Amino acid sequence: MDPINWSSVFFWLFSTVACVFAVGVVLSNNIVRMAFYLILSLGATAGLFFLAGADFVGAMQLMIYVGGTLVLLIFGVMLTAKGPFITMKTSAGEWLLAAVVGGSLLAVLIAAATSVGAWQQPHERPNTAQVTATPLGMALLGARVDKLEESDATQRRGMSGYLLPFEIVSVHLLVVLIGSAYLARPKRRVSGPSETPAPTVSAPDR
Amino acid sequence: MNPFVEPITVSHYMVVGAIMFVAGAVCMATKRNALGVLMGIELVLNGANVNFIAFGSEYLRPAADGMGLDGQLVALFVIVLAAAEAAVALAITLNFYNNHSTVDVDRADELKG
Amino acid sequence: MDPITTLPKLLGIAWLLPLASFVLILFFGRRMGKAGSKAGYLATAAILSSCAISLFALFFVWLPNYELPGPVEHDESGHHETAAAHTGDAAEHGDHEGEAHEENGSGDHGENADVAEKPSDEADAAAANGGHEHGGEEHAAADSSAGQHGGAHHAEPSVRPITGDWYALGEFGSLRITIGYYIDSLTVLMFSMVTFIATCIHFYAYGYMHDELHDVDDHEVRMSDGSHLRRPGRFYRFFQYLSLFCFSMLGIVIAGNIAMVFVFWELVGICSYFLIGFYIERKSASNAANKAFIVNRVGDFGMIIGLMILFGTLGTFAFGDIDGKPGIFSQVRPEPSHQLIVPDGMIKAAAFEEIESGVEPTAEKIEAWRADTSPGTPGHWAYWLMIIAGLGIFCGCVGKSAQFPLHVWLPDAMEGPTPVSALVHSATMVAAGVYLVGRFFPVFVPEVLLVIAIIGCVTLFIAATIAITATDIKRVLAYSTVSQLGYMMLALGVGGWVAGMFHLITHAFFKSLLFMCSGSVIHAVHTNEMTEMGGLRKKMPWTAYTMLVGCLAIMGAGIPFTIGLSGHYSKDSILAQALSFRASNPMYGWLFIVAAGGAAITAFYMFRLWFMTFAGPPRNQERYDHAHESPRVMYVPLVVLAVFAVGVGWSTNTFYVDSLLGNFGVQPLLEQARPAGTLDTAHGVLMPNLVHPDEHESHFPAFHFPAELVAVATALTGLLLAAVFYGWRVLDPAEVRAQFRPIYDFLIHKWYFDELYDLIFVRPVLFIANRVAEFDKIVIDGLIHGVAMWTRVVALIDDLFDRYLIDGLVNAFSRWVFATAIWFRGAETGRLRQYVMFIVIGTVALFVLVTFYLNSTMAG
Repeated sequence: MDPINWSSVFFWLFSTVACVFAVGVVLSNNIVRMAFYLILSLGATAGLFFLAGADFVGAMQLMIYVGGTLVLLIFGVMLTAKGPFITMKTSAGEWLLAAVVGGSLLAVLIAAATSVGAWQQPHERPNTAQVTATPLGMALLGARVDKLEESDATQRRGMSGYLLPFEIVSVHLLVVLIGSAYLARPKRRVSGPSETPAPTVSAPDR
Repeated sequence: MNPFVEPITVSHYMVVGAIMFVAGAVCMATKRNALGVLMGIELVLNGANVNFIAFGSEYLRPAADGMGLDGQLVALFVIVLAAAEAAVALAITLNFYNNHSTVDVDRADELKG
Repeated sequence: MDPITTLPKLLGIAWLLPLASFVLILFFGRRMGKAGSKAGYLATAAILSSCAISLFALFFVWLPNYELPGPVEHDESGHHETAAAHTGDAAEHGDHEGEAHEENGSGDHGENADVAEKPSDEADAAAANGGHEHGGEEHAAADSSAGQHGGAHHAEPSVRPITGDWYALGEFGSLRITIGYYIDSLTVLMFSMVTFIATCIHFYAYGYMHDELHDVDDHEVRMSDGSHLRRPGRFYRFFQYLSLFCFSMLGIVIAGNIAMVFVFWELVGICSYFLIGFYIERKSASNAANKAFIVNRVGDFGMIIGLMILFGTLGTFAFGDIDGKPGIFSQVRPEPSHQLIVPDGMIKAAAFEEIESGVEPTAEKIEAWRADTSPGTPGHWAYWLMIIAGLGIFCGCVGKSAQFPLHVWLPDAMEGPTPVSALVHSATMVAAGVYLVGRFFPVFVPEVLLVIAIIGCVTLFIAATIAITATDIKRVLAYSTVSQLGYMMLALGVGGWVAGMFHLITHAFFKSLLFMCSGSVIHAVHTNEMTEMGGLRKKMPWTAYTMLVGCLAIMGAGIPFTIGLSGHYSKDSILAQALSFRASNPMYGWLFIVAAGGAAITAFYMFRLWFMTFAGPPRNQERYDHAHESPRVMYVPLVVLAVFAVGVGWSTNTFYVDSLLGNFGVQPLLEQARPAGTLDTAHGVLMPNLVHPDEHESHFPAFHFPAELVAVATALTGLLLAAVFYGWRVLDPAEVRAQFRPIYDFLIHKWYFDELYDLIFVRPVLFIANRVAEFDKIVIDGLIHGVAMWTRVVALIDDLFDRYLIDGLVNAFSRWVFATAIWFRGAETGRLRQYVMFIVIGTVALFVLVTFYLNSTMAG
């Protein structure tokens, strides 16, 4: 009997958790539970990233998604969590339609995933584990240290790195930060004794 | 054949990504709660990310065929953009909630033809 | 000063000054003082400067440089038989030796040409030729220190004209249009005369047109509401036209080619049109302007034919030689004999059939053609070309100078203001025609000259008779002008070049004087009718006595063989020339008789005018009481002109002081300007009997004495008759009128010329025009209306088609698009989750499609 391939074991573990809780998100009607299932699913996905050698991305997945985005979502849940909205039912017909469409999409995707032979060839994994944080950081700053020894010209393309996308994303984040803060700020209502049907001042809300 | 013995391939990752993707899509299509739709989006993005990571991994494919660091970088950008998107979407949701006192996306049909 | 370079410049400036004045007034006239009063100063200053320059050119440039020819004196003893012999000789030639003439040119000519060619042999030649030349020669040799030999002045021009071009407007192949000049003593003299008279008229007009300085009530124009027309004054415009008129006339005078003459000819026409129609609101004035213009067009048509023949055959417009290119004159009268021949160009044009058939037009061949003038030969046709060209040019002159049968416009032209009449009738417009005949004199063959003479004679008689009965003071003068122009034409036509041009000059002075006097009278009594006047002598002495001088001058008063007024000399020479012509051509003797009779009639109607206006008791007391002498600005020019009317005909010869002062006077100047070769006796080719005698023959006492006596006698007869009827009132003109009722009616209706033209031309033209108008209205308009109707119907159908078919299709399509859009609109539910479903379904469908496609292509 072949020795147990531990990475396979962990893959199956993480993938099972990720898939099961993803389906759980779909099936659950309670918004709070959905949030919780999502945390688990995304956390497991981070584990899959680690298994694939993407340690930095996995870490980011945990920090940003699980630590940031989901906390944000849960804040949202809490802010809007009134009785009727926690569980909102969907009609059976829609469920049926969604199931059919989703099933067909899944079928298509799985067919695509399994249709290429090269993707099913196992690969001899290298013994050394590489830390990807430094090359990633350098790539974002515009230097592809991982491709310095590459002799093949086609493989060496993209040596300029990701400085420009990085810049764009930075600005984008800044804009998003300001924009969302503006959108989500509390409304200032005109208060006073002579309260007539005063219009709300903040126009962009509407 | 023992699944714990067989080495993992790209296809495995892709199947996982596909399941998450479809789950996210179905979630978007069925949830009436705006937050549920947001969660579906997160799932869809994650499913895509799984694929990127799988194709960029040296452990699953020969380095010559793979995307290398590019896959990870794209995944990183997707994560960042997802965070930004989540922030904006949440802000919109809160606004919508403030104005309509509901988070039912079916009520947000002012733009219908 | 070198006249060849100086004169063109001087006269060019004198010519352009009125143009400058015209342009200035044209653009700024309205702003020149009140109603443009300063425009009068400007125009007067311009013409005055022109006059000064012209006189300077005459006295200080021309005269010091060119010795005038000696006066033509005659050997008292020998001339009688010589002249008789000569005429007899000529008649004999004409009767019996016509053939010989045609071959040699003419016998006399041949001899004269010999003299010209061999001046060294002049004594022999003169002896051989006869006494008259001999006398001339001796006198010239004795009196004139210029060293000219008498024989030469028959054939050689004493002075070569100054010719050249100022500016070439363009060159189109052989056609060369230039602004050129042709300056001889005639040009200089005409310049002086025209500018001088125009200056007087400008001054006079400044007073006469004073009414135009403010708003004018025109009493002769009634508006539809019965009131008089009231219009702003047009003082500046009057002077503007006057300036243009002077410029145009000077342009004709100085012109160096016929094209330029024609241009200024038309300019003169348009100026007269403007000025005759100055009171444009009056129907009669605008009609008269139109009449003058249209009648002139008739003449100009002939002139264009003449121009085309000359240019087509001679290939040049220029009069004189320019830069060695022979002009018209030197082609018609080539060096050295200056005999009139049919030029080579016309021979070639006439012989085009022979040339086309291959005959080389060599010089000998052309000579042969020229010599043979029997009917049907090229020489014959070429001669006809000469005649037609000459008649064409003369046709223009007939129109411009108001000769029969185109004289009808001139009396009507009296509608213009009187200064205009004075200008038109003396120095400018009508003078232009005579001047052109004089200029073209070298080109006219004897047959054409005969036509000119007959036309002139008929004109002078008709006009003189009409003048007898006219009562409008200006019309009397107008007919008198026509009559005098007839005299000039007659003189030119019978070969009296100097006589005709002399009369042109003298007539200009006394006719302008007469017109301005009549204007002064009209200014005083505000009517043109002589039946309203009478006794004005006491009220306006200046006008009366200057006018008396004018009447005496036009009558030709003088003491025979001693002294006389200017008209005396010119009319004498005309009559003498006619008499000389009569001696050579007995069948045309009536020309002389008519001319002499015309002289009597002239005296009669002129003094009838004077007596009716100034003598006797006033016929209209009211008008008489209001009459007054004209302002000084008007009568001073009268006095000046009267002085010239008296003395312009004199020369130093008149007072026998030519031995002291040299030979000076208008006549010697004109003698100097005589076109080369025109002095000699000329014979007709088609009419071999026709002889134009040497003009100097008219100075023989055989012709001169009787002519002078006849002239004075007829004039006195006319004067006496007028005095009997109107001065002493011995006879009552009304009785005579009643007695000769038919003749009176005939004359008072101006020989029914207007009625005749109305019947012959105006009515048929109107008839045809009316038919054409009807045709237009019924057929053409009907056709057009039909087409329009048809177009409308088609348009209507088209409209329906558009509206229902095209629009229907478009509307249907848009409706369908709209419905489809509405249907699609259902898909946009606004439900977020549905959109997600669409995305997913779309993705799947795309995938499936692509897969199937890939499979099918791979399988295929």
